[in-house]
Amino acid sequence: MRIHIGGGIGRNALFVVTIAFFGLPIVWLLIAPTKSINQLTFMNPMAFGSVGHIRIALRNLLSFDHAIFWRWMLNSVWYTIVTLVGALLSSVPAGYALAKFNFRGRSEILFVTLITMLIPGAALILPLYLEMSAVGLTDTPWSVILPLMFYPFGVYMTYLFAKHSIPDSVLEAGRLDGCSEFGLFTLIFVPLSRPTIVMIGFFSVVGSWNSFFLPYIMLTSQHLANLQTGLQILVTSTGAIGGGNLTNIPIRAPEVALAAIVSIFPILLVFLFAQRYLAAGQAAGAEKG
Amino acid sequence: MESKNPLMVRRRGRRTIPWLFLSPYLVLLLAFGVAPAIYGLYESFIVSSVVGPSSFSLVKNFVAVLSDYRLPDAAKHVFLYLLFWLPIMIVAVFAIALAIDAKRTRFGAITRFVSYVPGAVTGSAAALLWLFMFSPQVSPIGGFLRLFVGKSDTFLSDNTLPIVLAVMGISAGAGGWIVVLHGALTAIPRDIVESASLEGANAWQTVWHIKLPHIRGYIAFILIVSTAQGFQVFVEPTVIAAGAPAQISQTWSINELVFSYATLNSNYGRASALAVLLLLVCLVLAIAILRKTRLYSTGAEG
Repeated sequence: MRIHIGGGIGRNALFVVTIAFFGLPIVWLLIAPTKSINQLTFMNPMAFGSVGHIRIALRNLLSFDHAIFWRWMLNSVWYTIVTLVGALLSSVPAGYALAKFNFRGRSEILFVTLITMLIPGAALILPLYLEMSAVGLTDTPWSVILPLMFYPFGVYMTYLFAKHSIPDSVLEAGRLDGCSEFGLFTLIFVPLSRPTIVMIGFFSVVGSWNSFFLPYIMLTSQHLANLQTGLQILVTSTGAIGGGNLTNIPIRAPEVALAAIVSIFPILLVFLFAQRYLAAGQAAGAEKG
Repeated sequence: MESKNPLMVRRRGRRTIPWLFLSPYLVLLLAFGVAPAIYGLYESFIVSSVVGPSSFSLVKNFVAVLSDYRLPDAAKHVFLYLLFWLPIMIVAVFAIALAIDAKRTRFGAITRFVSYVPGAVTGSAAALLWLFMFSPQVSPIGGFLRLFVGKSDTFLSDNTLPIVLAVMGISAGAGGWIVVLHGALTAIPRDIVESASLEGANAWQTVWHIKLPHIRGYIAFILIVSTAQGFQVFVEPTVIAAGAPAQISQTWSINELVFSYATLNSNYGRASALAVLLLLVCLVLAIAILRKTRLYSTGAEG
């Protein structure tokens, strides 16, 4: 059987199947807060409840500890932004240097970078905790931000992009024109790599926004928690998922669904913003200096 | 090829330049990658005992975890999971990314966006979502599930679990790789692709002879990282276990076993030993993939 990827019908059919597979759970999640916990069980799963239920769910969610929900959200925002800046400033120049310079230790650094990506995360949590505790940073935002700034994925992505898509001739032309090495990086490489930089920036944002174990272990004060950790603590302490909620904290399935929507909303906004740049990779290969 | 460039040799101080670019990253790599990893490795040799001080042994923790009765089951689960999850996800990621790249349409962009969304749902929200998805009486695909389980109220069983987890894993993991792969594809110079089709190459030949070789490095990277992710599957079974503790063990996967040593038993030595073994498996596979695809070849050797 021959399927033309370029041909319209096969491609669009693939898109329809893809959207159905990935979209269905999301549509369900979006509808869930419009229903009461009973309606979730007995109504048609894809039926819309009422807007009133969203309001009830929101009120219940905010009723916990004087709307500490917003505090968690604010924490998440600033942890994420600081991490993003640090991750980009460290990983992009590193990936560039690994791809565009020949020096002793280059492939060793690449290999170690790869290894650190393959280490099971659970194995690193205790050493990281001991490290942070030795320098007195546990239960401060830095104990979460600094380890998240270490971003081997960003290094690798920059390395691959620089190696595959930025011809050495472009940089050589700049060198011949008397451009400094720092200038080559900031004036030539960074503008040409914008799609990749935006992409790894986006993944860094998602990674720190959704980080759970690290803040869970490092931060003990409830007012320092990020959104994911805070919500998880809230949900497990009320038994809202799997097992009846025996507490009088009104957090049940609709509240959890609403919290999920509120917490992924910023990520989707960032994605939609980044989307314009993600596909703009054309200039890179075409400009020949 | 920098080595052949005369300017490179002539300029003074050039040898320090890559290190200047690398230094912030290297500090982070040492502090939050290498140092904790070495400490973890050291920990794997420390044998803790219920009474008395802990001792040092090169093998004891490894022997203990390898003879743990839960390990064969966990290894079998992970193997089954990988069997479903990895090939399906890799094929889906490539098919979708190539289709989006073949022609820039709004529909393609929407597909990429939608495929990413489930990956953003984590933690308790994911537990809620998937528990409802796979409970026949409340699921939007309840009718479909009933084809397999009849009137039963639960779809989750030992037999269906690898498939359920594979669906979850694909749903959460494919979107990110589609973004990565599509980004790599858009960076291929259009004139190369166009001249290939001018010379009469059909869509398949263009993909096979032009596009895929161009993104070889990305392919190797995706294979290495996703294979490791599969071996270390943790989130999906934990999420299901949170919602349906009766149907799934807390140590369903190998990485969950690592976690249970560290948290439930406070036996960090065994947790580290099993993590080291898990890493070794992933490393062997990574090296095999690197060999096969010559990921490091350009830049250094030409």
